[in-house]
Amino acid sequence: MPAILEVEHLVKKYGDFAAVNDISFSVEEGEVFGLLGPNGAGKTQTISMLTGIVEPTGGTARIGGHDIERQLKETKQISGLVPQELALYPTLSARANLDFFGRIYGLRGRTLKERVDDVLQIVALTDRADEPVENYSGGMKRRVNIAAGLVHQPKLLFLDEPTVGVDPQSRNHIFESVLKLNRDRGMSIIYTSHYMEEVELLCNRVAIIDRGRIIALDTIRNLMAILGGGILQVGVPTVTRQLLRELTALPAVEEACPGDPAVAVAEESNGEPEPETQTIKIMTRDSQYALVNVIGYLNERDIPITSLTILEPNLETVFLHLTGKKLRE
Amino acid sequence: MKALSIALKDIRLALQDPGTWVSLFLLPLLFIFIFSGGLGALAGENGDEETGAAQMALPVVNRDEERELSQALLGRLEASGAVVLQPLTQAEADQRLDTQEIYHVLVIPEEFTASFAAGIPSEVRLINHLSADAGTTEALRLAVDGAVQDLVLEEQLVASLEQMGAMQGASVPEQAFSTERIVAQAESQFVRAQTQPLVTVSRVDPGQSGEEVRETSFLGVQVFVPGFAVLFIFLAAQTTARSIYDEKKEGTFRRLLAGPIGKSSLLAGKLLPNLILALIQFAVIFAVAIFILPLVGLDRLNLGNDPLALILLCVLVALCSTTLGILIAAVARTENQIGGISTVVIWGAGILGGAMIPTFLISDLLDKIGRVVPHYWAVDGFYELLVLGGGLADIALPLAALAAFTLLFFAAGVWRFDYR
Repeated sequence: MPAILEVEHLVKKYGDFAAVNDISFSVEEGEVFGLLGPNGAGKTQTISMLTGIVEPTGGTARIGGHDIERQLKETKQISGLVPQELALYPTLSARANLDFFGRIYGLRGRTLKERVDDVLQIVALTDRADEPVENYSGGMKRRVNIAAGLVHQPKLLFLDEPTVGVDPQSRNHIFESVLKLNRDRGMSIIYTSHYMEEVELLCNRVAIIDRGRIIALDTIRNLMAILGGGILQVGVPTVTRQLLRELTALPAVEEACPGDPAVAVAEESNGEPEPETQTIKIMTRDSQYALVNVIGYLNERDIPITSLTILEPNLETVFLHLTGKKLRE
Repeated sequence: MKALSIALKDIRLALQDPGTWVSLFLLPLLFIFIFSGGLGALAGENGDEETGAAQMALPVVNRDEERELSQALLGRLEASGAVVLQPLTQAEADQRLDTQEIYHVLVIPEEFTASFAAGIPSEVRLINHLSADAGTTEALRLAVDGAVQDLVLEEQLVASLEQMGAMQGASVPEQAFSTERIVAQAESQFVRAQTQPLVTVSRVDPGQSGEEVRETSFLGVQVFVPGFAVLFIFLAAQTTARSIYDEKKEGTFRRLLAGPIGKSSLLAGKLLPNLILALIQFAVIFAVAIFILPLVGLDRLNLGNDPLALILLCVLVALCSTTLGILIAAVARTENQIGGISTVVIWGAGILGGAMIPTFLISDLLDKIGRVVPHYWAVDGFYELLVLGGGLADIALPLAALAAFTLLFFAAGVWRFDYR
């Protein structure tokens, strides 16, 4: 598949602060690509550059082969944006909003009317299309927000956190719409979110972004494979190198390492009780089997377990593993 | 076309908002009614001595010795149907004014007829009590002024024609007065009556300033209507600023920026609605002043002699207001700042620029300081056109000043504008 989007070393700086710091990736035609990261990671800034809202400080990107700086008009014509905010005119009806945004993309007359009817059907709002948007529920507004990004039939759609503040029913409807657009119309979609469940459900490949950098990019299966069979987080009074070595040697354990890399690890315990417990992060090949072995090992040596967490392999865990923090922190 | 789509959408949004109707049309008209004496006229007598809905009582002290011309004047006043005359002596008038039995008195000077016959200017005085109703005062002044002007003109024309008749009888046929010469003479008399009147009406407001207030040709409606139109059209600048702020707050501005529309088209789309609404505002205010104000006993607005100059001035004022809106949108960061800047800057500039009361009436200093705001030049332009009857050449300086302000606001606004 040819690439609909190619991003090379894209940078956006505000003074000394790099909101986006040298990111590169590509999206194939017909792909649903996820940008996963916590708030402030640089997802929206990346989209803002790719949609021509802000100019990049460095790097390049091409949409459908058109450079986003030199051929901005062409890139805008084939891409669509569904912003995080409900970017609509509340006192106008859904139809009037869509009509207006269609005109901005140069649509007129019968074509415009057909496109408006089409996107209203996609988001299942045909029967209430003539009501002012301000009368809609939050979920319905979100659906109109999506429709406004579709009215000109873009080849590449940027969906920026489209489910923020949406009830479960509308969220499901949005998921269905995204999958339908991709499956039936071959639309390429870049989906940003800090909800890993959404990205897992919708996306073929995911770039995990943190502090303006892409820290991992792969298919969801490959990203999860980083974690093997899952992670155990075990609280003990003292973490020593000897303890880590012996835990790593247990069956079904891939690796044991300090939960907090900043904490200094002594070779052996000096027998003095530690003021605070420490955490060991244990990467496993099979979390259940490894758990049995770890508990047995610690009991045999009378090492008390002060806490125990089993992290199943998912994107949240991958993010935690890669950054040491949670997605929604 | 895309800018036009944005403009049409903005106009639609604006007209959906009841606040727009209030701020664009209702408030300016309300101010005009109040300041042009509308309340006085609508409120009726208010303790004044009016005798009916259309007629006002006018006490008269006629001190004219020969009485010929003064009687003609009083006859005209009564014939106008606007007033009912009440002859009084000077002592009676003074006493009744003191006890507030009457609020106005017209005093005709002693040698009124004789002075006129001798070509010496004289003065008819309309004395008003401190608590006299402003609307009635203005209405009486207009009635007296009209009667005096008509009388003087007629007397001068008749005298002139009699003189010509006498000369005609004594002249040879070739030197006789042709129709053209007679018309020219009549026109000359008319101009003279307008520019060098033999009789003037002065207003005296005892107890207010102790000084006579000489009536000039600026009438309430001719000054207040364009003044308040200017004030409220500049106030509409905050509509532009607020519209841009709302687009940014709602995120639609970001969505538009992501669309295939240039930043210049986007700005043009945001400018155009205010320009159009401001021009509609001018049209509505002027139409009300022409057609509605006379129905409530106020003067009809006279749009002057040069419609092209008037249109040009209106367009430039509207444009200046619109670009000021861009500047406010560029400078203000919050909705409160927009409201604050608009209130302080636009109202302040309106007062300083004479949109509420012409600055030259207040002080020379204020008249000079006022030049730093566009309102001053707008008011000055309208005064030149609507009060003094000037034309395009007479408003060249106000137009140039407004154009300069427009460019300044636009350049500064675009320079400071944050598209994010």
